[in-house]
Amino acid sequence: MGLEQHFPALIIAILFGIAFLSPLLFRWARKLSAPVLITTLAMATMMAVYLLVLVYQGGEFSYYMGGWPPPWGVEFKINLLRVYMLLIVLAISLWIMVYALKDLEHELKQELMGWYYSLYALLVGSMAGIALTNDLFNLFVLMEICAISACAIISIKEDRACLEASFKYLILSAMGTGCFLLGVAMLYMVTGQLNYDLVNEALPAAIELYPNNMFAAAALFIVAFGTKAALFPLHVWLPDAHASAPSPSSAMLSGLVIKIYAFALFIMFYQVFPRPLLESIPINEIVLWLSAMGIMFGSIFAMVQVDLKKMLAYSSIGQIGYVFLGIGLDDTIAVTGGFYHLLVHAIMKSMLFMTAGVIIYSTGIRQIKQLGGIGQVLPITMIAFTIGSASMIGLPGTGGLISKWYLALGALEIGRPIFVVIILASSLLNAVYYMPIIVNAFMQQEEFEHEVKPVPRQMLIPLFVGMAAIIFFGVFSRPVISLLENALQIFF
Amino acid sequence: MVPFIQVYGIYIILHGHLSPGGGFSGGAIFGASLVLIALSFNLEVGARQISHATASVLESGGALGFIITGLVAVALGGNYLANQAAGFPMGEAGELFSAGAIFIITAFLGIKVASTIVTLFYNIIEGDDKSGDAH
Repeated sequence: MGLEQHFPALIIAILFGIAFLSPLLFRWARKLSAPVLITTLAMATMMAVYLLVLVYQGGEFSYYMGGWPPPWGVEFKINLLRVYMLLIVLAISLWIMVYALKDLEHELKQELMGWYYSLYALLVGSMAGIALTNDLFNLFVLMEICAISACAIISIKEDRACLEASFKYLILSAMGTGCFLLGVAMLYMVTGQLNYDLVNEALPAAIELYPNNMFAAAALFIVAFGTKAALFPLHVWLPDAHASAPSPSSAMLSGLVIKIYAFALFIMFYQVFPRPLLESIPINEIVLWLSAMGIMFGSIFAMVQVDLKKMLAYSSIGQIGYVFLGIGLDDTIAVTGGFYHLLVHAIMKSMLFMTAGVIIYSTGIRQIKQLGGIGQVLPITMIAFTIGSASMIGLPGTGGLISKWYLALGALEIGRPIFVVIILASSLLNAVYYMPIIVNAFMQQEEFEHEVKPVPRQMLIPLFVGMAAIIFFGVFSRPVISLLENALQIFF
Repeated sequence: MVPFIQVYGIYIILHGHLSPGGGFSGGAIFGASLVLIALSFNLEVGARQISHATASVLESGGALGFIITGLVAVALGGNYLANQAAGFPMGEAGELFSAGAIFIITAFLGIKVASTIVTLFYNIIEGDDKSGDAH
């Protein structure tokens, strides 16, 4: 019984600890605050890797807060799927933070940096908590922390658009958490438990007595997580929020924050609700069609955007649809595809927002039509953009292809070829709005007429890492896929 | 009035594990007393009691203290935030110094909440001054 057994709690404790420490560090030892945050994120990532090893060796295990087993205490559950999500959250937020250190210097006022680090650590800590927790009320608290810190890293820029967007986000996500709390109350009313596994055990008996409670809870959960993850008709807050935020915040919000709620929805419907309930009402059918509409409309809205970051934000609505499509198809292969897409999209969308950040940093341009010829002055950035777009479209050799391939296979497996058509059509739509930017950037003959600031190396290195990761996950998909297949065995 | 309110606030914080109340409610009462000073005299007098900077430092410190208490439990061999299991002295039930870590945690929570209320109050007042140039 060494220290490693406490890693689940320690990861979250050190992240929250650093969130409270960084304003102090920023006040007294300004130079230290950024390295300390980076070190903490790196330490947390290493702990998560170690947890993965532990789970591979010894199977799933639980961690009881304060030594109190459920139903009294909060339980953290560590199994393959949870650790997979935890690793994505920690590794990608470390990657974004390395990029953010330089980018934030010109987007934020100097004295706000300490608070930004603090909010960032809170956001990462709460997402890591959502990935691990096995308790409904703990999930609610972590969702609140996550929502408020996510709003704050948008509004920290203090311009008009940011404040408006983050206010809209705040109201809608508060509505989402409200729905979630009401749903939890419904479940607690009939089961008297908050722990996922205990609720799951108590539900089959409760369904007989109070079916309407269950249906209401399921509906409330769809609305709650749908709002927070920007599932199609509930996505209205996303474009403004993700487009107006500072670029590292956009990368974080689009790359991770909406994903963690899709993950939470999956856990709710596959771990908390018993299978018979899932089959007796068409929850999956609803998620399926909403996500299909999201995939199509997200891409169609993205085509008409003139602002680069807004286009990326609308594209996120389409892409989160793929994750929900996987969940809705209710088939091991499709869910594997959905979760693979969760990883790949987190990498590629974060990278695309980083390239947008580099373009804004270096030239100040946000409009898509002014980007003609930019490939000659910012070649590395635009190559990164090209690889990211290729993965969005799903060209061979990139991670995007693998996830779409598995989703399509899953759709065929359960005999719904219509969704293969939707996946193909949306890939074409993605090509329609990403390709012209790339073609214009590289092929245009005339000189690029805007002033160009040199890009610091610290912003370019993360782009190289991103490109390498996208191609790596496109070529060597087997380890992650087999991890996911193992992880999903317990749900099907 | 202020000393009485403060004594009452501290009482609520320290008796958190024995009677209704605790870190949050006691801290709110204590914070309110500091806000009342600033309201009844003016901001400068209030800031002489506890400045904005001190309040924000205490705010972070209180929360850090909570987390460190949890970590001490790990160091003592229990789970995170463990109380008796980690070997915190329990004392006599009903006495002031009892209930191990709960006592320490409510004290930190009290500091945190009191200073948060003061910081919020200062932020709102100072926000008014600069709102002219923000937009």
